[in-house]
Amino acid sequence: MSTFNNAYDVSREAEMKEPLDFNRRSRLKHVDRVFKAEILNIIHLTEMEKLYQIRLLDPAERARFSFLPGQFVMLEVPGYGEIPISISSSPAKNGYLELCIRRAGVVTGALHRAQRGAKVGVRGPFGSHFPMEEMKNHNLLLVAGGLGLAPLRAPIFEVIDHRPDYGDVNILYGTREPAQLLFDYQYEEWGRIDDIDLRIIVEKPDPGWTGPTGMITELIGDLEIDPRRTFAIVCGPPVMFKSVCRHLVEIGVSMRRIFVSLERRMHCGMGKCCRCNVGSTFTCMDGPVFDYWAVMNLKEAI
Amino acid sequence: MLFRILSRDRFRTLVETIMETTEVVAPKKVGVRSDGEPIHQFLPVADFDEMDLAHETTEHSAKTYFLPYRENLSTYAFSDDDWQQEVHYRIQPRAMVGLHACDINALLRLDKVFVRDHFPSPYYVSRRRNTLIIGIDHEPCEGGFCRSLGTDTVTRGFDLYLTDLGDRYFVAVGSDHGFDLLNQVGVAEISDRDTADYLEERKRIAGLFTTEVAVQNLPNLLDIEFESEVWKTWGAKCLGCGSCAMVCPTCYCYGTTERVSMDFSSGSKEKHLYACTVVDFAEVAGGHNFRPDRSTRLKYRYYHQHRGFVEAHDEPKCVGCNRCGRACLTGINPLDVIHDLQAEDEA
Amino acid sequence: MKYLGIDSVRPRIAVFELTGCEGCELQLANKEETLAAFLDAVEVVNFREISSSSSDDYDIAFVDGAVSRADEVERLEVIREHAKVLVALGSCACFGGVSRLKNAFDLNEANREVYGDRPQETLPVRAVSEVVAVDLEIPGCPVSKDEVERIVQHLIWDVPYHFPAYPVCLECKQRYTVCTYEVGLLCLGPITRAGCNAPCPAGGLGCWGCRGPAVEANAEEFLTTVHERGFTNDEIAERMSFFGGFEGLLP
Repeated sequence: MSTFNNAYDVSREAEMKEPLDFNRRSRLKHVDRVFKAEILNIIHLTEMEKLYQIRLLDPAERARFSFLPGQFVMLEVPGYGEIPISISSSPAKNGYLELCIRRAGVVTGALHRAQRGAKVGVRGPFGSHFPMEEMKNHNLLLVAGGLGLAPLRAPIFEVIDHRPDYGDVNILYGTREPAQLLFDYQYEEWGRIDDIDLRIIVEKPDPGWTGPTGMITELIGDLEIDPRRTFAIVCGPPVMFKSVCRHLVEIGVSMRRIFVSLERRMHCGMGKCCRCNVGSTFTCMDGPVFDYWAVMNLKEAI
Repeated sequence: MLFRILSRDRFRTLVETIMETTEVVAPKKVGVRSDGEPIHQFLPVADFDEMDLAHETTEHSAKTYFLPYRENLSTYAFSDDDWQQEVHYRIQPRAMVGLHACDINALLRLDKVFVRDHFPSPYYVSRRRNTLIIGIDHEPCEGGFCRSLGTDTVTRGFDLYLTDLGDRYFVAVGSDHGFDLLNQVGVAEISDRDTADYLEERKRIAGLFTTEVAVQNLPNLLDIEFESEVWKTWGAKCLGCGSCAMVCPTCYCYGTTERVSMDFSSGSKEKHLYACTVVDFAEVAGGHNFRPDRSTRLKYRYYHQHRGFVEAHDEPKCVGCNRCGRACLTGINPLDVIHDLQAEDEA
Repeated sequence: MKYLGIDSVRPRIAVFELTGCEGCELQLANKEETLAAFLDAVEVVNFREISSSSSDDYDIAFVDGAVSRADEVERLEVIREHAKVLVALGSCACFGGVSRLKNAFDLNEANREVYGDRPQETLPVRAVSEVVAVDLEIPGCPVSKDEVERIVQHLIWDVPYHFPAYPVCLECKQRYTVCTYEVGLLCLGPITRAGCNAPCPAGGLGCWGCRGPAVEANAEEFLTTVHERGFTNDEIAERMSFFGGFEGLLP
């Protein structure tokens, strides 16, 4: 009989037997298999957001897991579903991940009810990253609005972990109200590091607020930015990052040196399901990190 | 490429030989339209005579045998506040007979996404590798514009490809499996006369094409006409039913859903093919819809077909089969939509 | 059952019937392979199809049937007061259902037609949501047990429940059903909410719209295309009125 009748078992391919590694694109792998992870600590940030410290359970997987600042993972709660979450921890911590999660739907709802010790699944890392190598020996302007501090936290840690490689660092953060400020327990530390300047602004102050009040663009005006020596990362809602990016372009920062992280509803993370498609672009593969020139060329409203 | 001559009888023997051990899927007549025309679908056949290779086209493409409408991606077993994940791939061999050139070209496009792109899909690879493909030449189908897209002929992606020469088939051999099968039933080497007849037949078929669409300038045209009224006009007609994407041989977008059993002892993650014309395609958690109106959704369907895919894979995703045009109840079809865009551009 | 470190609680459920055939209630007691698990996951305190006990202490109330009498209005208001979650079960509860056809006639004439010289007290037929606030609707004639199970799971564990927004056509296509319009018959599939897995078109009947309109159903274009296919406004309106779900979209 023809050899055709011998069923082909894809699981027997050598590549499929290698340890699961999502960094190795274009290799056959169990694309829907998750790394099992455990919730180690749950840190309450605001009424809406919690930070989950998780670790991959398998020590080998944990050590092998690596990512670059700006990348995201698909977080699976079996029975509930899978959601894309940007990684908020230091890349140096490998498979000890920190994920900042806002309660918005059923999956995040389940996570907000979950207790320490609960098991979740992780696929990834996926997507593009901030070009930390290229940014070396330059000044950095890191701007976040609202939940945008979550994706910005990985590059902040990367800079702290490799402090001598970078020039002056300005971190600007703004939210609507003081109660929405994320990671407030870290401001003290970040602000005290040599040549890292942290400034925070809110739109609507409460009685206890002593800092500046207004839109985040007001903070940028106060800074002295050398456009030829500066890279910028801007994370936040579209209205916010557009106005910040426009301002930076006006003062002469190259569009190719301004990076944003776009949030879209990825379902697969692998450029297959098309749900995060913006015109010709797959946010999960070509993004979530884009330079501002690429953003200008996206046809769809962002 | 090797070519052989297969008699009609031996072709029957070949299919019947496959049927002894393997599921055969082929065009089958499933009904009659109110105008008297037969309706065909790719379905499992138990008998050689159940196949109808004289079919003009099938209502659906062959896609579902490679990208099922619903497919289990993984299962979970729950116990003691913990879970275990299991993943399986379908590995039962299957033969598909009677695919047209456009159908096979469509598979080659899907291969680009699911085999040759960054994250190959083991689910797809498994189905593709376990499927024997026997294609066949045919006269152009109504409204089909495959010739404009160069998908009326095919040189790979199949095991055997037949051209009907009346009393015999001229066979292009695309794989060792196909070659083995031919040798089992007995074939002849090609003669000069066979070649001449084959070329004559190809010429005759090529001469029958009447439908043409200028697709070369489409990527830029789509950018230029991004705000065009054409989208509003055609978008107003869209029922948002997703039929176009369901019958399309290359539409592959999907969503996933998870389900648990009533006793929460097991769960599954299921993939279900979706459609970019459906109202909530671009809705995100929290309710924001990135594509809130019909015309935007329809536009992006064309955008992916004729621009996005070109940018990523150097050719349109569309193979010109016009199945979407035939399936659309309100008459939205690529011929007229593209024509209107071009008319707008010239105006 | 414990998952994610959380113990699940068994909600107390009650089932009530208003005007209808009680077919949807029967569906609840259906599907033997999961019935035991279903009854384990919830505590039934009031459901006359399967139990004679009755209690006013419940979390979830399923209401089957339409509202067509004054005493039903009163009962419904009491149910709403007791229930944390009120679920309208079936096309009658969601839209008024078949009995809503009565509203097209003079009430007394309809009464005479049905009850002859022994008229009954009756009101124009209303959907449950026209009388009290409804938290969830499960349309269908009858409802599918599968969908009911998923809603119940959603209410117990807050697992996602996807109520399809798209029309029935998508499910017909996934089933390889030959389009009803190909054979020249009327079908409401293009404007009706999917989720039933399209059994009626597959059976050659065309869709009768028991699940009501899909999200942003394009009724205008639908009417244009069925007119072009030779169907009259009367035929279309009759079909669209059958389960009462398309009021406001009729030709």
